[in-house]
Amino acid sequence: MTTTTDHPVQEASAASPPAPGRSPRLTDRRLALVFISPAMLLLLTMSVFPLLWALYLSFTDYSATRDAPADFVGFENYTTILTSPEVWQRALTTLVYVTGAVALQTVLGFGIAYLISRRTRGRGVLTTLFLVPMMLSPVVVGLFWKFMLDAQFGVINSMLGSLGFGQVEWLTRQRTALFSLIVVDTWQWTPFIMLIALAGLTAVPKYLYEAASIDRASEWFRFRHITLPMVWPLLLIAVMFRAIEAFRLFDLVYILTSGGPGVSTETLSFHVYKVAFLGFNTGLASAYGILMVLVVIVLAQLYLRYLNKLKEG
Amino acid sequence: MRYLQRVGRRSLPGRQARLATAAILVATALAACGGGDGDGGGGAEAASGAKAPATIPELTDDPLTLSFIWFEWPPAQALEDFANAEYTKERPNVTIEVNTVPNANWHDAMFTQFAARQTDFDIPILDSQHIGEAVTNGNILDLTDFVDENIEVDAYPPYLLAAYGQYPQAETGQRDEDASLYGLPLLGDTWTMIYRKDLIGDEPPKTWDEMIDAARTCQDENPGVSGLAFHQANGSDAAAVTYNTVNGVYGGNLWNAEDKTIEGVINDEAGQKAMDVLVNEMKPLTAKGSGNWFIDEVNAAVAQGKACIAFQWIAAAGGLVDPAQSTLGTTEDEILDKLGFATLPTQEADVVPLGGMGMHVSAYAPADRQAEALNFMKWFEQEDIQKKWAAAGGVPARTDALESPEFLEAGPFNQVYADSVSRMRDMWNVPEYARLIDIENTNVNAALNGAKDPEEALDDIAEQQQQVLDSSGGGL
Repeated sequence: MTTTTDHPVQEASAASPPAPGRSPRLTDRRLALVFISPAMLLLLTMSVFPLLWALYLSFTDYSATRDAPADFVGFENYTTILTSPEVWQRALTTLVYVTGAVALQTVLGFGIAYLISRRTRGRGVLTTLFLVPMMLSPVVVGLFWKFMLDAQFGVINSMLGSLGFGQVEWLTRQRTALFSLIVVDTWQWTPFIMLIALAGLTAVPKYLYEAASIDRASEWFRFRHITLPMVWPLLLIAVMFRAIEAFRLFDLVYILTSGGPGVSTETLSFHVYKVAFLGFNTGLASAYGILMVLVVIVLAQLYLRYLNKLKEG
Repeated sequence: MRYLQRVGRRSLPGRQARLATAAILVATALAACGGGDGDGGGGAEAASGAKAPATIPELTDDPLTLSFIWFEWPPAQALEDFANAEYTKERPNVTIEVNTVPNANWHDAMFTQFAARQTDFDIPILDSQHIGEAVTNGNILDLTDFVDENIEVDAYPPYLLAAYGQYPQAETGQRDEDASLYGLPLLGDTWTMIYRKDLIGDEPPKTWDEMIDAARTCQDENPGVSGLAFHQANGSDAAAVTYNTVNGVYGGNLWNAEDKTIEGVINDEAGQKAMDVLVNEMKPLTAKGSGNWFIDEVNAAVAQGKACIAFQWIAAAGGLVDPAQSTLGTTEDEILDKLGFATLPTQEADVVPLGGMGMHVSAYAPADRQAEALNFMKWFEQEDIQKKWAAAGGVPARTDALESPEFLEAGPFNQVYADSVSRMRDMWNVPEYARLIDIENTNVNAALNGAKDPEEALDDIAEQQQQVLDSSGGGL
């Protein structure tokens, strides 16, 4: 009956007595506040505040190590970054890396998921085994790949040598260094795409395939007109997650190449690190970080709109 | 009913939550704004350049742990073992802890804590080039009065005392007695040339050109063994020190310290010649894929007999004569039959790189630990302790210790160090050091690995480093 009043909720809330044994002052609403406040506090102090603080610093010439107050410099830091050829060079490197790594991971991840989904025996064991790389720390992955890719002592060149190929300088040549980063990232993160693709493939209704069989549809027809359209939206979400992750790649670069040879594998994140911790140009590094966040947000929004259109279509 | 309850939450508690959120944000912002002034002992004074007292304050008798920070390498463990064995004889209540980080993180590990005005170490072991940055930011104590009162300054080669403590930087080979001192020598170091006596003969090459010829001949005559092994990585100061060494040997200079000029100095004729020798004559004699080699990789190549001639920091060369780590022999004598250690060859000039590090006192350490740190330094710089440190594997800085049998007989490369002291040259120790070294490292590494034309790389170094100096570290 309370729903017919002007302020039904307040009345309902006020009318509902606390549970037996609970203080009468501790209403459901207050209890809810108590429960969410630790998470909110954590979110505010660990995420929201640092972001706002970085935004403020990005308009100053502040340096974390110099004993001088921060002076307001307007958009100078943003102008410096956006007009710097060095930054555009790192952006290009990052773009090549993200495109290469995510494309390779998507093709391989979907391929493996498709093959696993067609098996009935040992599917669980296979899936678990494929997931192992994803569970390792990127630093550990970087370190053992660094040993494996060593031109002199590494197992990869040793294997290539036994097959009659020459030594490859995986980490010290411009082209192979970036390719090596893509390969290592692909080794670690293909299982992520595979896992999501597998979830999508498992969810495709069986009756669609049965209907296609009755119509004597070819294997390719089933894949093209049933499997792919059903899995595609889920796959695109996985691609978005991976692209965002790859965009802020730091650890593998730090361990495997240190951005070298020269600066040829320096990604945007690695460059921000150098600006922030070698020069301690905190204001400039904050602006750099904010710009990166903006790029991710804008691209993700465009991507999500495309996904929504796809869904509506 | 659930829907109705949700709507009802928009009233008073919602406003309260928003107010609370705003209050938390404001409070956190205020806390962060005020955070820079927080002191941890001497912190408040440190911002304006705190001075250590001339006399050591009264020491505590309570248990105390004195913490150092260094990077992970054998001398770090040697220091901890030595100090705990010897210093505790004088101060039984004190435990020495030498905390280490990977070499590549060494600068960041210290300076991010300095930036927070709070350190979990009392004695930072700084590279000589870090001094300017730490002094300018008030991160370490001014030890001038303490040194005057407690240290026998005449017992040291002047440049060694200056290199690990003086700021503004001393001229190469000298010490300005009027300048302030912010540190004392802990571990001296320079490069040694390691050569295969069984492959190129007992006598080491005397000039740089002879050294390259000997390496080339050795490589041609011994398939599977590369002529040279040296630091080329773009992390830390690896590739930069290599170029700076060749630059010095061929008569070049890194900068003009007086007017802070780099453009036109590092890339002058001598500098270009040095870059050409490094990239076009030395690099072809190295192992394939050695473009990211640093200390460990060079040691591995020597220990496995894969290099005719190598260049290495003396303090990192100890493992080379350890039979457990080498394939060159089953005893130290067998290894030393094959390996020789010599000072660097000369060419146009007689210059070797200054390595090693000094001890400093964190301006943010509590007062009792700052006092203990000063006491440790005074103890460590005594003649008999320096000799014991030499016998324990350290490289001392006092002349009497350098000339002592304890030091000269402790390792096959220690004579090399003693002979190199008068030839040492350091890089810049200005506050912009970290950026200068990164510019040089990345460009030399690019030239060594074919990512950049050598001449272009050197001109880029000059231009970018000059920009950094001119903007006092600003910009990208």
